[in-house]
Amino acid sequence: MLMADLLNIEDLHLEFHTYDGVAKVLAGVDLRMQRGDVLGLVGETGCGKSMTALSVPRLIPMPPGKITQGRVTFAGEDILSKSESEMETFRASHLGMIFQDPVTNLNPLFTIREQLVDSVLYQQARGQKVPGRWKGFMPSVRQLRAEAHERAVELMRLTGIPDGDKRIFEYPHQFSGGMRQRVLIAMALAGDPDLLIADEPTTALDVTIQAQILRLIRSLVKQLGLTVLLITHNLGVVARSCERVAVMYSGRVVEESPVRELFKNPKHPYTRGLINAVPQKDVSRGGLIGIPGMIPNLIDPPAGCRFHPRCEQVMDVCRRQVPGATPVGAEHKASCFLYPEDA
Amino acid sequence: MNLRFYLLRRIALIIPTLIGLSILTFSIARLVPGDPVGLAAGPQATEEIKEALRREFGFDQPLPIQYVTYMTGLFRGDWGESLYTRRDVLGDLRTFWPATLELTTVAVIIATLLGVPAGVISAMYRNRMPDHVARVLSLFFVSFPAFWLAMIFQTWFGRDLGMFPINKRLPVLVAPPATTTGLFLIDSLIQLDFETFLVSLKHIFIPSLVLSFSAFASITRITRASMVEALEKDFVRMERAIGIPYRVIIFKYVLRNAFIATITVISLNFGWLMAGAILIETIFDWPGLGLYAVHASLSLDFQPIMGIAILYGIVFSIVNILTDIVYGILDPRIRYG
Repeated sequence: MLMADLLNIEDLHLEFHTYDGVAKVLAGVDLRMQRGDVLGLVGETGCGKSMTALSVPRLIPMPPGKITQGRVTFAGEDILSKSESEMETFRASHLGMIFQDPVTNLNPLFTIREQLVDSVLYQQARGQKVPGRWKGFMPSVRQLRAEAHERAVELMRLTGIPDGDKRIFEYPHQFSGGMRQRVLIAMALAGDPDLLIADEPTTALDVTIQAQILRLIRSLVKQLGLTVLLITHNLGVVARSCERVAVMYSGRVVEESPVRELFKNPKHPYTRGLINAVPQKDVSRGGLIGIPGMIPNLIDPPAGCRFHPRCEQVMDVCRRQVPGATPVGAEHKASCFLYPEDA
Repeated sequence: MNLRFYLLRRIALIIPTLIGLSILTFSIARLVPGDPVGLAAGPQATEEIKEALRREFGFDQPLPIQYVTYMTGLFRGDWGESLYTRRDVLGDLRTFWPATLELTTVAVIIATLLGVPAGVISAMYRNRMPDHVARVLSLFFVSFPAFWLAMIFQTWFGRDLGMFPINKRLPVLVAPPATTTGLFLIDSLIQLDFETFLVSLKHIFIPSLVLSFSAFASITRITRASMVEALEKDFVRMERAIGIPYRVIIFKYVLRNAFIATITVISLNFGWLMAGAILIETIFDWPGLGLYAVHASLSLDFQPIMGIAILYGIVFSIVNILTDIVYGILDPRIRYG
C-alpha cells in the first residue's frame, strides 16, 4: 500500500428519490484502485455496480440521485466537490468510459471520423478551447484537425478495426456491433486516459464477439498499461480478464480479493452462492443452482446485513448490524460476521 | 441512393397528385349548391344573358367534359379567366402570389430563428425557469388570435412608436423593384437597390412577425420535445463520459438528432401559414393571394378557385420534396429509393 491510490471510493452513499420513496442504492461502497489495476466489479442487476462506476465521472442524474455521504478521490483530487466545468476537464483528461450497447452509444447521424476526431481533440485539449471545424480555413486549425485525423486512424488500428483509413468516413450503421464497440473503445482511449471504466462492455454482444472484445481489452492493458474498472454480472468475464475482483450486493462491496483466490476460496456466503450458480458443463449435477430469495427492495432494505434474509448461515447479529470489511486472507477482505475482526 | 433519379421520380409523382387534387377540387367547386353564373351576372340578368355566359364558360357541357377541357387548358398554360373580372387567372396568380409567398417565407424564417433556440433552451433547462418562460410564451402566442395581436402591433409599433409602417408592401411613392421573382426583398437585392430592400424589409417585418407566432409556438414545442428525447439517448452520456463539453454535445450532436422532427413541423407550418395568411393580409392591406382566394370562393368564381388549388398543390408537393431531401442530409440512414 505504498503506492498512492489512483481511485479511492470511501463509504459512498447514494439515494434516489422516487415516487415510491427513497431508494438507498449505494450504502457505503468502499473501493480502491492503484495505477495498473484491472479490477472486476461483479454483482446482480440492481446491486449498484453501474452507479458506483458512474459516480467517478459523476454522470448520475441528480436529481433524482443524491450522494448523501462519502468521498470519491482520484489521484488525490476530490471529485465530488468539483464544479461541472471542472468535471468536463477532468473527464476529458483522465477518464475513458465504454458502455453496454454499442448500437445506442454511437451517435447515428455523424461519421466515425467526426466522432473520433472530436474525442481526440477535446481529450487532448484537456478543457482548453477547441477551434470549430468551420475555422478550417486557418492553416493552424487545418493542421490540428489533420493530426487528430491521423490519431483517429491510429486508434482504429490499435483497436483492431481493419481499413481504418477508409472506414473512418463511414457512419455507425455501416459497422457491425463488435466493430462499433471497438470504435467506442477507440473514442474512450483517444486522450490516453488514466482510468478506463467499462460498464458491461460485452453484455450486448454475441458470444464470439464478446471473446474478441475481452481479448482486445486484455491486449490494450498489456500494450498501454491501462488501469481498468470492468463492470459485469458475468463471473466468467471476470475470471478471464481481471486481476482483482470486488463483489457487490445491494449497494455494498461484500468481498474483495485477487481473482484466483476468490474462485478457489470464496468467503462471503453471497459469493459462494454466485460461484455455485455458474452453470457447469457437467450436467449430471442436476440443473441450475440459485440463491434462494429475491434481491432486496432498495426503498425498505433489510436491517443489518442486507443479505441476511437469503443467507444460509444467518446469525442474530446479522439482523442488527452491518458487517465491516475484515481481512480473511492475503489481500482478501469480506464483509461478514462469519469472520470476526479479531480472528 | 441515386439522388438525381429519386428527385426525378418525386417530381414526376407530382402529376398524379395534382390530378387527384384537381378532381377533388373540381367536384367540390362544381357540386356545391349555388349558381356561379347567376351570382356573376347579377340579379337583373335575363335568362339569355345567363345562358350566353354559361355557354361561354362551358358550363352547359357535361361535367367530365368540362373537367377534361379545363385540364388540357391547364397543361397548355391556359388557366382560364375569372367570371367577374375577366382577367387571366394565371396572370392574377403571378401578381398576387409572390406577396403571399414572401410574407409566408419570412414568417417561417422568423419562427425558425426564434423557435429553435427557444426550444433548445427549454430542453436544456427543463422544468426550470427558462423552460417555464418559453412554454408560457408559446402557449400565449398560439392561443391569442393573430388578428388581435396584429392590430395591437400596428398600434404599438406603427402608431405609438412610429418604428414600422402599418400596411402595404412598400410606401405609395416608392416604385417596386423590377420584377424577376416578384419577391421585393430578392428583387431589390438583385437590382442592388438596398434602400428599397430596407424599406420593404420594414414593411414585411410586423405582418410576418405576427404571422410567425403560431408557427413559433409549434416549432418551440417540437424542438423542446425532441431535444428532451435526444438528450436521454445513450450516446449523450457516452460523449459526456469521455469529456466532450456539454455545449458541443447540445449544439452539435443532439441538435441534429432533434432537428428531424423540427424540419417536419417547419414544412407543415409553411403550408398552414400560407393558407392562414388571409387574416394578416387583410389587416395589413397586404396585396397577396389571401383576399383573392376568399373572394373567389365566396362568389364561386370557378377558374380562380381551381387555379389557387392547383398552385397550392404544387407548392405543397415541392415543400414535401425539399423536406425529404433535408431528411436525407440530416440522417444518413434515410435512403432514397
